[in-house]
Amino acid sequence: MSVLRPNASVMGLPYTAPGNAPRGFTLGEHVDPEDPLEVGNSSNPHGKPRAIGPMGRRFQPYKNNGGTVVAVSGKDYSVIASDTRLGSGYSVPSRNVSRIIKLTDKCVLASSGMQSDIAVLHKVLRIRLTQYQYAHHQEMSLTAISQMLSTMLYYRRFQPYYTFNVLGGIDAEGHGWSYSYDAIGSHEKVRAVCSGTGQNLLQPILDNQVEFRQTAPEKKPEELSLEPCVELVKDAFTSAGERDIYTGDIVELAKVTAKGVEIEKFELRSD
Amino acid sequence: MTSSGNAPGGFSFDNVIRNSMLQQKGYAPPTARKTGTTIAGVVFSGGVVLGADTRATSGPTVFEKNCQKIHYIADSIMCCGAGTAADTDATTQLISSQLALHSLATRRAPRVATALNMLKQMLFRYQGHISAALVLGGVDFHGPHLYTVYPHGSTDRLPYVTMGSGSLAAMAVFESKYKEDMTADEAKQLVYEGISAGIFNDLGSGGNVDLCIITKEGKELIRGYAKENERKYRRPAGYIFPHGATPVIAGSEQFKGPEKGFSVVAEVAPAQDTMDVSA
Amino acid sequence: MRNFDFLDAEYAISGTRSDEARVSPDAIDLGLSNSLVVPQVDRPSSFLRDAFANVPEKDRIRFAHGTTTLAFSFKGGIIVAVDSRASMGQYIGSGTVKKIIEINPYLLGTMAGGAADCSFWERDLGRRCKLYELRNKERISVAAASKLLANTVYYYKGMGLSMGTMICGWDKTGPSIFYVDSDGTRLKGKMFSVGSGSTFAYGVLDQGYSYDMSDEEAITLGQKSIYHATHRDAASGGVINLYHVKEDGWVKISSEDMMVQHRARMAQIKAENETSAAVVAEPAAA
Repeated sequence: MSVLRPNASVMGLPYTAPGNAPRGFTLGEHVDPEDPLEVGNSSNPHGKPRAIGPMGRRFQPYKNNGGTVVAVSGKDYSVIASDTRLGSGYSVPSRNVSRIIKLTDKCVLASSGMQSDIAVLHKVLRIRLTQYQYAHHQEMSLTAISQMLSTMLYYRRFQPYYTFNVLGGIDAEGHGWSYSYDAIGSHEKVRAVCSGTGQNLLQPILDNQVEFRQTAPEKKPEELSLEPCVELVKDAFTSAGERDIYTGDIVELAKVTAKGVEIEKFELRSD
Repeated sequence: MTSSGNAPGGFSFDNVIRNSMLQQKGYAPPTARKTGTTIAGVVFSGGVVLGADTRATSGPTVFEKNCQKIHYIADSIMCCGAGTAADTDATTQLISSQLALHSLATRRAPRVATALNMLKQMLFRYQGHISAALVLGGVDFHGPHLYTVYPHGSTDRLPYVTMGSGSLAAMAVFESKYKEDMTADEAKQLVYEGISAGIFNDLGSGGNVDLCIITKEGKELIRGYAKENERKYRRPAGYIFPHGATPVIAGSEQFKGPEKGFSVVAEVAPAQDTMDVSA
Repeated sequence: MRNFDFLDAEYAISGTRSDEARVSPDAIDLGLSNSLVVPQVDRPSSFLRDAFANVPEKDRIRFAHGTTTLAFSFKGGIIVAVDSRASMGQYIGSGTVKKIIEINPYLLGTMAGGAADCSFWERDLGRRCKLYELRNKERISVAAASKLLANTVYYYKGMGLSMGTMICGWDKTGPSIFYVDSDGTRLKGKMFSVGSGSTFAYGVLDQGYSYDMSDEEAITLGQKSIYHATHRDAASGGVINLYHVKEDGWVKISSEDMMVQHRARMAQIKAENETSAAVVAEPAAA
């Protein structure tokens, strides 16, 4: 076993024997029967949360805070974007929560799903990258990061991070690539990908406009360069914001090129 | 059980048992269009102002960005609806026609209280299964009136009311800013602010602010009183699909171009917010 | 002789069903412990099932699923063919998934069931096969490799892993195929097809198979079998990938959209209809 695994007794805190772990979870959290995002909500077709025991409701470890993330990559660039709305039921607890993280000068990650899991995942990734930097005196490559993220997600196979990730960046040869992930680390190297609540709205646009799917071979336009690609992502996001209630407010858009990472913001509708 | 063939009218319950069986077996029923909504109304000296947002949703998807949630009941009575779109549409239309008949029979201008009674009696009969939460407002012989009607049939009579998923946001504004004997302009501004609060803070509400001002002189329905959620960006290059960009399966040449002419098989009426209840 | 056990100690994915894999609530798991995190609940094996019980498909954490894969051995070695669709409920997650996993130059694994489960454990299998080579100065047999995998997934039995895979390779005993799934089943055989579209693939495979077929015939049969499965099974589709395992390792033969096969077949049917129409028309004319 690795010595790095933290241990409660080492940290000077009382050690809880695994069998006696506090069962704080049984208190449950508030379940809004009208909340379309509440995971487990439709367990109750009649709108009443199922009560278990005197303490409260069923164990609800997961919640989806919505949001849409996109990564589109071209010959020598990658564009990664995410909106910053944090939704919960019909409420908007925040309009400006960043879901993208610059991992290296050549690699940016965007995650949607449950905010708390995203925060922890990003924190852990940052620690792992720093450790790698100190151990190897160089930045981790895009391919290495893509594999590490997959492994980290898979290690949580039985208690997954409720996150849907897209990774974008420039590889060692200078080519842009996007990676799409499922919640437990199945991943694929692609040109353009979208995840989150706006996925069904955005992915077909990207398939058609970036990969030119369903286009006759002789009619295929030239591959997108950086600026047209940014315009496409902005337009696609604006469209998703029109129709998906969990996508809105602001989009953070990271452009990754050989020169580094440049982040810009633009507005979506905020209703 | 009545078969739909000789039903006396109204709802058909023919498939209730079958549907509950299907649901038990795990078939999801079709989702109705809901208006996660902010609707509100305020009484001022000499009239009422009603307001509504314009978003209709189905789960997390926006179904309609500019629907009309202020429904006609009579010339000087209007009704804002929240809940299932089909229910609010059908209910208000039904009451509207009954009220018109009542008015002809009694030879008197319809009163808001009559509409209120008809609504609550109908909704109570269906024990909340008709998902219509309403704000009813109007001016009649007795002056301005404003009511809320809940899906189960209970009602309130108040000087300022809100309903729908954005009702808390709107009520927060009303509670802090409502005064007695406001002018029409003050009332309009207050309702606009309330609806606007719902639009921005409730994800079920959105789009534009619609207002309706009813006085004894008449009524004015203002669609798009405020349009604060217009699309902010369009791709400058647009989307151009050259002719022949989509591959056509060999053998379907007869559908290739309009020059050969399409035959119109059936004309489909454009989608409207109103619902045909004549059947 | 050099001992490589230290590599095992440092990198092996440990027995994770025990309590040692638990993370205390006051520290973050960095994923450095080489162990799978086990949920701190009464019944960790049913954690995911419980957390998403009665949740409609659209709100669940959706993992990539749905497949047609096949492998058969014949005179010239083994043909491995797969589709490339990843379905997540109603949604097509991808149409370009690599469902043939190149474990090493002599071993192939296929992916059916949970995409993450297959790719993770077959990657892990590749690592362990390399260690075996370093220790024993010879390549691992297909039987041994498949047993490593079978033992691993058997260890996690009941925890919800989902994989149906074929480990294909050529060793001292010749070509061999082992079917391994997440129930712990391990079978040696000449022909397997796994996934939601497997019944369709078996149909084509059985009627066209012969041990003495040529390489070209075998490749065509593999492609046709997958094509017909993509045609009839909604959860299969996309690109058809095909590998040929020979004595000196595997070769990637083709990677072709199923629509290519479809158009060819449609054209063939049309041509056949025209010929038969001509045959029918002739006596009428006479």
